[in-house]
Amino acid sequence: MTAAVKSRFLDLRGLAAFEHMRFTTRHRIEGAYSGRHLSRNQGGAGEFVDYREYAAGEDLRKLDWKVLARTERAYVRLYQDETNLMCTLALDTSRSMLFGGRRKSTAGRTKLEYVQFLATALAYLIARGQDQVGLALLGGQLRDWIPPAGTSNHVARLHAAIESIQTEPATRMAAALGQLFEHVTRRGVLLVASDFLMDDLDELFAVLRQFRHRQWEVLVLHVTDPDEERLPEGTAYHFVSLENDGSVDCSPADVRREYETRFAAHVAAVRSLALALACDYRPVSTAIDYLHVLRGFLVERAG
Amino acid sequence: MSFLHLWPIYLGIAAAVLPVVVHWLTRPRPVKLPFSTLRFVREVVQQRRARHRLRDFAILALRTLAVLLLAWAVARPLLGTRSGAVADASISVARVVVVDVSQSMAASHGGIEAFERARSRAAEYLAHERGLRANLIRAGAAATATFDELSGNLAALHDELARLQAQPERLNVQPALALAARMLADAKGDSPRRELIVVSDFQRTNWTAADFSPLPADTIIRLESVAPAETPANLAILRVAVPGHPLPDRPSRVEVEIGNFSPSARPVACELTLGEATYRLEGLCPAQAKTVLAEDVVLPAAGWQTGQARLVDQLDALAADNVRACVVEVHTPAPFVLITRQRPDDVRASSFFLERALAPYLPGERDDGPRVVRIDPGRMDADRLATAELVILDHPGKLSVQSTGILAGLLRRGKAIWYLAAEPTDAVNLKQLVDEAGTSLQMPVEFSPPEVGRRRRDLFWADLKQNQAPFAIFGDSLKSAASSLRFAGGLASRRLEGGLADDLVAEYGDRSAALVISSSGAGMLAVLNADLGSSNLPASPMFVPLVDQLVDRMLGDRRGAAPIASGEPMAVYLPAEVRAAERLVIASDAKPADASLGELVNEGPGVVWRMTAAAPPGIYRVNRDQQTVFAVAIELPAEESDLRMLAREVLEDRLAGGRDVRFRATDENEDRDDLWTWLAVAATLAMLVELAVLRIVRA
Repeated sequence: MTAAVKSRFLDLRGLAAFEHMRFTTRHRIEGAYSGRHLSRNQGGAGEFVDYREYAAGEDLRKLDWKVLARTERAYVRLYQDETNLMCTLALDTSRSMLFGGRRKSTAGRTKLEYVQFLATALAYLIARGQDQVGLALLGGQLRDWIPPAGTSNHVARLHAAIESIQTEPATRMAAALGQLFEHVTRRGVLLVASDFLMDDLDELFAVLRQFRHRQWEVLVLHVTDPDEERLPEGTAYHFVSLENDGSVDCSPADVRREYETRFAAHVAAVRSLALALACDYRPVSTAIDYLHVLRGFLVERAG
Repeated sequence: MSFLHLWPIYLGIAAAVLPVVVHWLTRPRPVKLPFSTLRFVREVVQQRRARHRLRDFAILALRTLAVLLLAWAVARPLLGTRSGAVADASISVARVVVVDVSQSMAASHGGIEAFERARSRAAEYLAHERGLRANLIRAGAAATATFDELSGNLAALHDELARLQAQPERLNVQPALALAARMLADAKGDSPRRELIVVSDFQRTNWTAADFSPLPADTIIRLESVAPAETPANLAILRVAVPGHPLPDRPSRVEVEIGNFSPSARPVACELTLGEATYRLEGLCPAQAKTVLAEDVVLPAAGWQTGQARLVDQLDALAADNVRACVVEVHTPAPFVLITRQRPDDVRASSFFLERALAPYLPGERDDGPRVVRIDPGRMDADRLATAELVILDHPGKLSVQSTGILAGLLRRGKAIWYLAAEPTDAVNLKQLVDEAGTSLQMPVEFSPPEVGRRRRDLFWADLKQNQAPFAIFGDSLKSAASSLRFAGGLASRRLEGGLADDLVAEYGDRSAALVISSSGAGMLAVLNADLGSSNLPASPMFVPLVDQLVDRMLGDRRGAAPIASGEPMAVYLPAEVRAAERLVIASDAKPADASLGELVNEGPGVVWRMTAAAPPGIYRVNRDQQTVFAVAIELPAEESDLRMLAREVLEDRLAGGRDVRFRATDENEDRDDLWTWLAVAATLAMLVELAVLRIVRA
């Protein structure tokens, strides 16, 4: 883990409070190695959990002969395997993520920086829990894809990749997520951190549906900035798009109410789309310290 | 359509543009801000714009409409048919617009001066038309044109029209018509259509003698009246005078003549300020009549006394004629100079009777009475005669040309001369005097020695001007008193063409002149054609009052202190005592900045004060070493106060002289002059609708 110290987004002092906490999931997953997470497989190496009537053709080694002798009925013993977790962090690198940091409450962090802090911390915590963590940088295309692994070098590599994220003026992200879907083979946890300010929101969730269909657990972190929720005070602004999408002159006072309504509708739309897919949807504001968000996130998942 | 005022139109256009300009100048400078959710801002802005574009446009349109309607209303649009407009644009038009700028055009009716209507009417005819060449004539006491000939520069004519104002002067219409006639006759082009547009109030006193005959025969004449249909009521001070020759510390009668040009009798009050004293004169002035308010005042010091009369508590159509300045010359009585060859102790001589009548008081009986100084004709001295109050010639014998030249000079400079023509040589003297006086003296008769062998005796007065001085004082008793009078001597006379018949005050039964009173320059010459020594007039009780009245008339009517009409050419002879123009300064109590006070020039033995156009009403003085040597009151011509209009039929028929004359009265288009009220209502409605739109949209 020495290499992780090099990342400016890794705050070990802040993460010291998370020493006893682990990134867990309530879903059964598929892992490469034996771990502390419930595996989808119920083989013979794990802990006995139940009996089931034998079905013709099943492996006779799993048959409980003692029960057969005693009751003359064939039952099979079931055992729960435990495996490690493979988590893929899918980060939005569109230019809209560069917005934010104008207010004191955000500590001068843009949405991207906020996500970089959060992703760095998560990668660190997941790897420390003997789980595997991967990274996918999503732009117009899949820009970078680091498959999950759990070594310290791997985590250092992840940290370096997160630290050196370059944004691009992309307004579509579904294609990148689709490419990621083609790359991954095993089921795991997909954490998508984005502001979801894109034109292909429906397509994006269609791809997420595929992930869900393949039994992935999908976490949706919806990152927003306070200045997005409410237009800034002032007489007149010349708003320039961060994604080369033109500009608009307006007086915020004239459109504030309609804008807030529209933004709230957008947030609600993302939320409903995520919940419809049984995703774990979490709105995250840059005005809230990422460690606080992380703590709540880990505690809630730990049950 | 024309407008009563043009400036609100320009102001309205500026005001309509102003909100846009102010918005543009004060619009907020936007702060550049990179933004992530621009799509939402854009959608909201587009949605808002789509929703508010119609509202904003409606509000802007309504606001602009309200401003323009308001400006339109203030401009007082006048709707009506332009009777003189030329419809066919292919015809070249030569048009002269004559605008009356006399004082009566300042009369207001319904809060609007007639001149403002005139300006609007005239502007109609100076609007742009293809093939139009026009000119603008300002018609007042004199006529002046904007250009020397017709011009296509209508903008300059509009500018000149905007600068015109009613002036305190009368309308002398004939020079304006003559000037227009010359321009129309000189109009270039292929058989242009000639039009004369006259915009005036067609005041009866000014237009009665108008003559359109100098205009080219094919001229179309449009008479645009701006006088109200009903003659507005007006009160005016027409004259302020002190008849006779006022003496210091002696009561003098001041007369203020008031004219009531309204349909009902009006009580009038007049405040007269003369010197440092103020008097209040009150009376009742009958409808459409003049009345004289009189007051005996004591003028304390000799010299030129100035003042003014002012109507108080009167609201009428024309305010300018409610004030009139006056000048009175108060002087200690100078001696009468009697030039005669007769001996003073000859009690049967004509000059003896005359001297007794002129100075009826015995020596020591009264110190301030008139004195008579006898001078031998051979020792006539110009300086001595200049200081005389009155010069009387009785039996002077044959006068030299030099002597008659002195007399003529005195006459021109305001001296009164009474000649008693008794001997045949007097005919020669009078002939010489008339010749020396030149054109300034137009005698109604020419005197000549009686025919040889025919004695003039038993002559009696047959035809007297009973209403004039010196006979007016006798009233109804004149006929009986005069019937017993018999005259002898004197000269034969013959009527002259060009002489004023009114100057022949009395005639004998043989149709020869008995008494002639003529003006010459500033002075006055009276000729009594009789030998008093051979007549019974001196023995008559009429004699002394007759002489007194005649002297009063001659001294009182001297033109030196007579008022001058503003705007008219002025040439006034200064009193005979003023012999040179050096060190003379013209001064005025309230001289307008742009008014010329004329010039003082030496002419012969005296000084003449000339002004091309007399300055505006007021008191003007000639000072020498801070001492006033002459003063004159320049006044508004009294006829401007009578606002009655000449009948339409007279203008269209009698004065037309067979030309195409069309008359348009004020009320022919002013029935739609109330359009401005509807425009004001529309402007208010536009603002209310704007408010309603704003409330609905915001709700």
